[in-house]
Amino acid sequence: MTWSERLVRLFDNPLVVKDGVSRMRSWRAPFVITLYLGLLGLFGYAFFVLAAIYPQGQRVGAAQVGASTFTALALIQLSLVSLFAPALAAGAISGERERRTLDVLLVSRVTPFGIVWGKLVASVAFMLLLILAALPLFAAVFLFGGIDFQQFVVTQLLTVTTALAMASTSLFCSALFRRTLTSTVVAYGVAFFGLVGTLVGGVMLTVAAYVRTGSLAGPPDAHPLLFANPFYAVNQLINEPSGSPMHIGRLLQLLFALGGPPVQVGPTLEPWQATILVQLVIIVLSLFGAVQLLQGWRPLVPRREEAEPEPAEPPELPEGSRA
Amino acid sequence: MIEVQGLSKRYGAQVALDGLDLNVPRGEIFGFVGPNGAGKTTTIRILATLTVPDEGVATIGGVPVTEDPYGVRRLVGYMPDFFGVYDRLTAQEYLEFYAACHEVPRHRRRRVARELLELVDLGDRAGTQVDTLSRGMQQRLCLARALVHDPEVLLLDEPASGLDPRARIEIRELIRELRRMGKTIFVSSHILPELEELCTWVGFIDRGRMVEAGPMDHVRGRVLAGRRLRVELVEPEEVRLLAARDLIQDRRGVIAVEVVDEGLEVTVEEAFPDEQLLTDLVSAGVGVRSFARVTGDLSEAFLRLTAVER
Repeated sequence: MTWSERLVRLFDNPLVVKDGVSRMRSWRAPFVITLYLGLLGLFGYAFFVLAAIYPQGQRVGAAQVGASTFTALALIQLSLVSLFAPALAAGAISGERERRTLDVLLVSRVTPFGIVWGKLVASVAFMLLLILAALPLFAAVFLFGGIDFQQFVVTQLLTVTTALAMASTSLFCSALFRRTLTSTVVAYGVAFFGLVGTLVGGVMLTVAAYVRTGSLAGPPDAHPLLFANPFYAVNQLINEPSGSPMHIGRLLQLLFALGGPPVQVGPTLEPWQATILVQLVIIVLSLFGAVQLLQGWRPLVPRREEAEPEPAEPPELPEGSRA
Repeated sequence: MIEVQGLSKRYGAQVALDGLDLNVPRGEIFGFVGPNGAGKTTTIRILATLTVPDEGVATIGGVPVTEDPYGVRRLVGYMPDFFGVYDRLTAQEYLEFYAACHEVPRHRRRRVARELLELVDLGDRAGTQVDTLSRGMQQRLCLARALVHDPEVLLLDEPASGLDPRARIEIRELIRELRRMGKTIFVSSHILPELEELCTWVGFIDRGRMVEAGPMDHVRGRVLAGRRLRVELVEPEEVRLLAARDLIQDRRGVIAVEVVDEGLEVTVEEAFPDEQLLTDLVSAGVGVRSFARVTGDLSEAFLRLTAVER
C-alpha cells in the first residue's frame, strides 16, 4: 500500500461517516452550532463595545478595538472548544461499550487504531465545523485592523490543536473508563487542569520566582506551565507582536526549579510554538494509550463478563423432562 | 472447520475453560449446550478473537485465532448474546456501515445491504431507524450484520434469547437457510428443545469442560444407550398397560419398558425394528392409539451427563 493510499484510508474511516451522519441527524447539532455562534457573537460584541469605550494597550483607535475584540473572540472560542470537546469525545468509546457495540466493531477488520482515529476525527470534525462557522465573526474584526493575517492563522491553528488535544485526552478517558459519566467527569477535570490549572499554576510559579529573585533583574521569565497554556499563547501572540521567545534550556531550568543564572541554551520557542508542541505530545500519548487499552490492556474498571461470571443456572428444559 | 484443543481460560480464581476440546466439520450446525456460567460465551469470544486464551489452540478454517486474528475475522461472522444498535441510522445504513468496517468494496455495499435485508425479511424496513425496530427485527438485523462480509463461519451466542416464540421460529428458519447456503454455524444456547430441532452436531459443556460432543444422533445414542418409543393405548387401563408391557419387555432389542402418564415408554437399541413391534402389538389385539418416537432426548442426555459430572 502506497503512502497516498494510506493517507486516503486514514480519512476514509467508516466510523467518521457513521458518527457524522448520526450526530448531524440529532436536534443537538443545530442547537450546539446556534449556541456556539450565539455565545461567541454575544461576548464578541460585548468586548467590542468595551474596547470602543475603554481603550487600552499600545495600539490606537480602530486598531486597538480590533486587537482587543479579536483577543476576546479567540479566548472565548478556545474556552467554548474546550467546553465542547469532552462532551463530544468522552463518550465515544465508553458509549460503544455501554451500547454493546464495541465487541462487534473489534471483530470487524477495523483496527483498534482505526476505531480511536475514527472517533477522534468524528469528534474533531464537528468542532472544525464550529470553528469554520465562526470564521465570519473573526473576519469582521479585520475591518478595524490591529491584527495581521499570520496572527489570525496561528490563532486558528492553536484552536484546532487545542480541540485535538482535548478530544484526544477525552478519548483516552473514554477507553479507560467503562462508564461515559465517569469518563466525562474525568475528561472535564483534565481539561480544567490543562487550561485553568496550568494558567493559575504558571502565574503563581512565575510570581514566586519573581519574588525569590527580586525585581531588579527585570521582568520575570514566564514559567513553562504558562508556555503550555493556549490562553497565554493566544494572548502573547496578539498582544506581544514582537514576540516573547525563550530558550529551551531556560524553560527546562524553570520547569525543574534549577537555580543559577538564566541558561541560554537550545533553540528559542514562542509560547504558541511551545503550546502546540506540548499539545502534539499529549495527542500522541493519548491516542497511543487509547489504542493500547482497546487492544486488551485491563481498564481500571473490571470487565463485566470477566469479573462477574454468569451465575450457574441449569439449561431450559421442556416441561416434565426434569421429573 | 473449527478445531479447539486444550483451551483454558481463568478469570482470577474462576476457571472459565478447563482444557476444552472440540471439532466442528464444515457445513454443520453445531449446538453448544451448557448451563449459564459453563464457559459458552468465553469459548465463543475466544473463537471471535475477542478474548485471548491462557492455554490451548483454536483454529478456524486452519487459521489460528491468537496468531492471526485479522485472518480469522475475515472468516467469521459474530453475533453476541447482548448487542446494541446505533441511534439515528436506518437499517440500510447500519448494514452499509458494517460492510465498510469489513472492507467490502464501496460499490458493493449498497447491494449487499439490500440483499441481506431481503434475506432476513426486512426488505421493507430498509429506511426504518434501527432503534425503532422490534427486538425480533433487531435480532434478524444483527444476524444480517454478521453476514455482511459473507463469512464461512457464524458464531451465534444465544441468538434466540429474549425473543417471543414467533421471532424464535424466524431465527431458527434463518439459521437453517444459512446452512443451506453452505455456512458452518456454531450456536450456543441453554434452550435445549430449540437446539435439538436445529442442530446437526451437538456439544455439552459443563464447568469449562466438554462432556460429550459429536453428531446429534450419535450423542443421543451414546448417552441414552438407545432411543425411546411411546405407545399409547385406546383403552389405557392399568391391566391393559401391564399386559402390553409384558408383551414388549421380553423382545430382543428392548432395553426397558415403563408406564408413564397412561402410556408406555419403551427404550430400545438403535437397530430395533419399530414397525415390527407395532405390527405384533396389533396382531396380539392391543388397541394402539399412537406409536411414535419420543423427542426431547437432548434434555435427558444433558441431565444424565451433568448428573454424572456432578
